[in-house]
Amino acid sequence: MNHVNSSDWYNSLRKEFEEKSLSIEKVNRRSEYWRKSNLDILEDFVQDTSQLDLLDLNGTCLYEPDLIINGDILELVGQKSDQVVSIIDVIADEESFAKNYFGRLEEKSQKLIPRPLARDNTLDPKVGYVLSFSDSSEKPLIIHNKTNTSASNLFQRNLMIVDKDVEVTIIETGNNLSVFNTVTEIYLGENAKLNYLDLTGENNIFPKISHKFCDLAEKSSFNHFGLRLNTKATRTEIELHLNGQGINTSVANVSLLNKKSHYSDENVLINHNAYECKSRQVFKSVLENDCTSIVRGKIYVASEAQKTDGYQSSRSLLLNESSKFLCKPELEIYADDVICSHGSTSSSLDRDSLFYLLSRGVHKNKAKEMLITAFISEALDEIEDESIKSALSNYIDIWISSFSDE
Amino acid sequence: MLKIDNLKVSLEEEEKQIIKGLSLTINSGEVHAIMGPNGSGKSTLSSVLAGKAGYTVDSGKVNFDETDLFETEVEERAALGIFMAFQYPIEIPGVGNMNFLRTALNSQRKTRGQEELNAADFLKLVREIAKDLEISDEMMRRPVNVGASGGEKKRNEILQMCLLEPRFVILDETDSGLDVDAMKLVSKGVNKFSSSSRSFLVITHYQRLLNYIVPDFVHIMVDGKIVKTGDKNLALHVEETGYKDFL
Repeated sequence: MNHVNSSDWYNSLRKEFEEKSLSIEKVNRRSEYWRKSNLDILEDFVQDTSQLDLLDLNGTCLYEPDLIINGDILELVGQKSDQVVSIIDVIADEESFAKNYFGRLEEKSQKLIPRPLARDNTLDPKVGYVLSFSDSSEKPLIIHNKTNTSASNLFQRNLMIVDKDVEVTIIETGNNLSVFNTVTEIYLGENAKLNYLDLTGENNIFPKISHKFCDLAEKSSFNHFGLRLNTKATRTEIELHLNGQGINTSVANVSLLNKKSHYSDENVLINHNAYECKSRQVFKSVLENDCTSIVRGKIYVASEAQKTDGYQSSRSLLLNESSKFLCKPELEIYADDVICSHGSTSSSLDRDSLFYLLSRGVHKNKAKEMLITAFISEALDEIEDESIKSALSNYIDIWISSFSDE
Repeated sequence: MLKIDNLKVSLEEEEKQIIKGLSLTINSGEVHAIMGPNGSGKSTLSSVLAGKAGYTVDSGKVNFDETDLFETEVEERAALGIFMAFQYPIEIPGVGNMNFLRTALNSQRKTRGQEELNAADFLKLVREIAKDLEISDEMMRRPVNVGASGGEKKRNEILQMCLLEPRFVILDETDSGLDVDAMKLVSKGVNKFSSSSRSFLVITHYQRLLNYIVPDFVHIMVDGKIVKTGDKNLALHVEETGYKDFL
């Protein structure tokens, strides 16, 4: 059956992908990529958003939005509308330039890891946008997700294309409870740079799964920073394909979870396919009250990717005994001239540091707050833009102070 | 100011008594030195006074003015005016030194019901003290004690003391790891800070620090008790003959 109002190219892609999807391993407890994960998030995805008080659910919003995704409706604000097209319009357009991009990275990212939910998304997108950037912009583009109570359980599909030599920053905020499963495919041209901040706040009271697949050309950069502030249950899958010489990437995440049994699940795969590329992964999780954080971070180095520099650090601060940090760092290396490292630690608040601060008169809650802030600072340092870093640090500091006052 | 009465303290985990009945009274303006061989309980005494976890008070009392110290939290002791200069100052990556100092000072002022110091006044104050102690701006910008040499860490302790203006200071083996020049600098800071309303408890292995910070009383501590009390000449005697006369 053809998708409503869809083009021939999309219909044929859909048919091809549907057939191939039979060979993609489904989500199950025995799967390597779901073994430690909370499968309940798949059961709970039918969301009743009709009873929510939306005024209370603004989400993490540091700036005024440029693009609002209001349930299944795109709302364009400000001057940037010429860059934005609805994904629904794109898959209905026989001549859309997007036909050369749509679905390609999803398919490519099935190679090493089965991603059945991303495939489901390709077959049935309901909302989303295509952003193409041909000029650099100093001002970040703010994408704000909002809940529309008439819509629920939507698959959101996005496509981003950043042209050669163009540098942009995207900040995604808000709280689209209507969306359960998001896939974003990103193409970076030669020497392009994309800074992507994905800020998920504590109003995300329903499970959410998001995928980001990114293809990088020579000398391009991709810096992704994720923030999970008491999100109920999130699973993130990021896969980067480093296809040209001299690419630089950074993927950092901070999870701060202290509400009963909340959960974050971060999965990153960096494919080093070319000479002299650099990747960094920094994960910091602060957990209390039966919360769980999972980090699976893999660096794959192909035989032609000599002089690769790959770094991965995943650390957790466990504030009570029932919190859990499950970490699986992986290296798969086929080149012989590389530097790759990974490290993982779990610890409680350092007693000596805490005593030192208290002995100078710092109040107990403030001292804990300072140590938590210090703990996550390595991940925040991955954000290059000082003004964004400072705004976000202040936002997190205020949040942490309410966290430790509870 | 400080009255320790027949104090007995054990290690929490080992149930081993370290301090075995120690009494000591320190009045305003006095400088007391405690000397003793390794394992005599000197550092345990300073840790217990500052409120470090890991110790059990078996019996005895410590009063600071009218306050029962063992009923007081660590941060409250600091606000009362008790300060311990650490033997091994802690490195705290990610916490900036200036942020730490300002938070500490303003936390204490808040506890005492005083107005918090604004950024400009704080900066002026801290810079003056840092200059006296020859602490560079670069060191002040670093995270607390990270990448600092032994001497720099000890000077940072003295800087905290001068900034927080405690009434009772414990110097826990502040001379350990210091060369002569650093010891002179640290002592100069302490001497400049001393007054008739402040008291010091200087814990040391060696007499040499006491050439610079001259004590009113010297106590010899052996096996958890004070076995001899005298004036500064007692320290000179120990320097010559060691502790064998007291064991």
